[in-house]
Amino acid sequence: MRWATLGRGRLYFLLLTLPAVLYVFLWRIAPAFYTIWLSFTQYNIIYDAGPQWNHLENYHRLLQDSGLREALRLSVVFAIGATAIELLIGLGAAAFFDSDPPGRNLLLGIFLLPMIMAPVVVGTVWSALFDPTVGPVMYLFERVGMPEFQWLSKPLTAFAGLVVADVWEWTPLTTLLLFAAMQAIPREQYEAARADGASAFDIFRRVILPQVTGMLAVAGGLRLMDAFLELDKVFVMTGGGPGTSTQFVSYYVYKQAFQAYELGYASAVIAGLLALLTMVFAFYLRRYNRMVNAASA
Amino acid sequence: MSAVAARFDARGGHRDGASVAVRGRRRLPLGHIIGTALVLGWTLPPFLYLVVLSVKPEGLIAVRSALVFWPTFERYRQLIITHLGLPIWNSLLTSTVGALLTLALASLAAVTFSFLDFRGKAGLFLLILLPRMFPPVTTLIPIQLGMKTLGLIDTRTGLILLFAAFQIPLAIWVMRTALAEVPRELVESAALDGASLPVIVIRVVLPLAGPGLLAAFILAFIFNWNEFLFPLILTSFNAKTGSVAINSFTGGYKQLPWGPLAVLGVVMTIPVILFVLAFRAALVRGFTAGAVKG
Repeated sequence: MRWATLGRGRLYFLLLTLPAVLYVFLWRIAPAFYTIWLSFTQYNIIYDAGPQWNHLENYHRLLQDSGLREALRLSVVFAIGATAIELLIGLGAAAFFDSDPPGRNLLLGIFLLPMIMAPVVVGTVWSALFDPTVGPVMYLFERVGMPEFQWLSKPLTAFAGLVVADVWEWTPLTTLLLFAAMQAIPREQYEAARADGASAFDIFRRVILPQVTGMLAVAGGLRLMDAFLELDKVFVMTGGGPGTSTQFVSYYVYKQAFQAYELGYASAVIAGLLALLTMVFAFYLRRYNRMVNAASA
Repeated sequence: MSAVAARFDARGGHRDGASVAVRGRRRLPLGHIIGTALVLGWTLPPFLYLVVLSVKPEGLIAVRSALVFWPTFERYRQLIITHLGLPIWNSLLTSTVGALLTLALASLAAVTFSFLDFRGKAGLFLLILLPRMFPPVTTLIPIQLGMKTLGLIDTRTGLILLFAAFQIPLAIWVMRTALAEVPRELVESAALDGASLPVIVIRVVLPLAGPGLLAAFILAFIFNWNEFLFPLILTSFNAKTGSVAINSFTGGYKQLPWGPLAVLGVVMTIPVILFVLAFRAALVRGFTAGAVKG
C-alpha cells in the first residue's frame, strides 16, 4: 500500500488507535499487574488502611491452605469430567450435523441457544428442573417410587447437577468446533471409503476421527480452562454448598476477596492460579504443536 | 490423496454391486429423524420448562403434575409496571451503550491495524489481544477498588465504562477479519483521488465492513448482557443487572420465588433468541474466534 500519499494523515490516523490501546491497558492490563502487586501485601479492607507489603507471607499461606487445595481438586475434577462428556456428545452431534440433515442451519441455531444465553439463566433453568417443589426430576423420582430428596443439597448430586448444567450449556461449543473441522474434510474421502465397502462406523473411526483430533485438542483445551474457572452457575445453583462440596476455585477467590475481605491473600490466590494456568497452557501448546507436526509429517 | 484415504485403498475393497448402491444412497432418513429429535429434545425442554413456570398461576406452581393450565401473564405485567423491571432496563442500557462505545473505540483501532503499516504494530496488536489470554478474575479486585475511589459503585455509568473496555479485544479481532476483505485498491484509489482519511473510512471502508461491525456489536452486547461477576461486585441496588437480580433471588435457604425468577430468566433470554435467529453466522464466527480461522 502506498500510504505515503496520505502524508500527515498517517500520524493523525495512528492517534486514533491510542484510545482503544489506552482503554484496554487501563481496564484490563494495569489491573492485572496491580493484582500481582497486591498479592505481596497484607490488605484487609476492614482492618487495614492500605496495602502493606508483607513479603511472601501470602504465598506461604497459599501453600498450606487446605481449603484452597480442596477447591482446586474440585475444579480439576469438574473441568475434566464436564469437558470429557462435552467432547463425547459433541463428537456425536457434530457427526450428525455433518451428515447434512434437512433444516441443518436452523437446527444448529436452536442447538446453540444454551451457550449464548446468560450462564446465570442456565443455572436458573437447572435449579428449577432439580428443585423438589417445582421441578420435574424429583417428580419423576416420585412417580417411579424412588425417594425424593433435595438434589442440589447433597454433595455428590449437587456436583453432578453442576456437571449436567455445564454439559448442557457448552456441548454446543464443542459441537460447533468439531462440526467446522468435519466440514473441512473433502467429501471424496467418504465416497472413496464407501466405495471400498466401509461402514458408517468405519468411516467415522478411520476417516473422520483422525482428521478432527487437532480440533478435539483445541475444543478440549478451551473448555478445560473455562470450566476450571466456572463461577456463575455455582452462584445460582449451589452457592458453593452444601458445605464446601461445590466450592470451586473461582468461588473460593470470591469468598476470600468479598466475604472475608482479604484482598491481599485473594490476589495471591489469583496470581497463583494465573501462574498455574500459564504453565498448563504452555505445556498444552507444546504438546499441541508436536501433535500437529506429527500429523502433518 | 491423504494417508487415511490411501490406507482405505490399500485395504482393497471390491466394487461389487452392493457397495455401489451404498455409495449412491444418502444416509438413512431414519438417522436424521432420530438425530433431529435428539437435538430438539436436548436443547428445548429445559428452557421451555422455565417458560411454563413463568406463566403458571401461583396456586399451581408447586403442583408439579399440572402441565395443562390457563396461563397467567400477571408476572410479566408486574415486571413492566413495578421496580422489578429495573434490572432488565439496567442490563439493556448498559449492554447497549457499552457495546456502542466498544465499537467506536475498536473500529478506529481495527481500521488502523488493518490498513496502516507502522513500527511496533505487532507489539501494539499483541498488547490489545493480551487480555484474551488471562481470565477476567485477575482484574476483579483492582477494578472494584478503582470504582470505589471514583465513586462509581452501583452506577450505570460505572458499568458502561467497564463494559466498553471488556470486549475491545474481541471486537478488534472480529472486525479485523471483516476489514481484511475490503479491497485495498478501492481504498488506495480513493486516497489518490485526494480523499482525506476520515472520508475514506466513512465513505469507503465502513459501508463495506458493515456486517463485521454489526457482528462485533452483537457479540459485545451479548457478552455484556450475560456478564455476571463484575456487575455482582460493582452494583447493589440502583444499577444491578438482570443476572445479579436473578442471583439475589436464589440466595438464602428460603423457598425460592419461582414465578418471578422464571420470568426474569425468560426475559433475559429473549434478546439472545432474537439475535441467534437473526445473526447466527456472525455469532458462530465470534464464539469460535481464535479457535477457527475464518
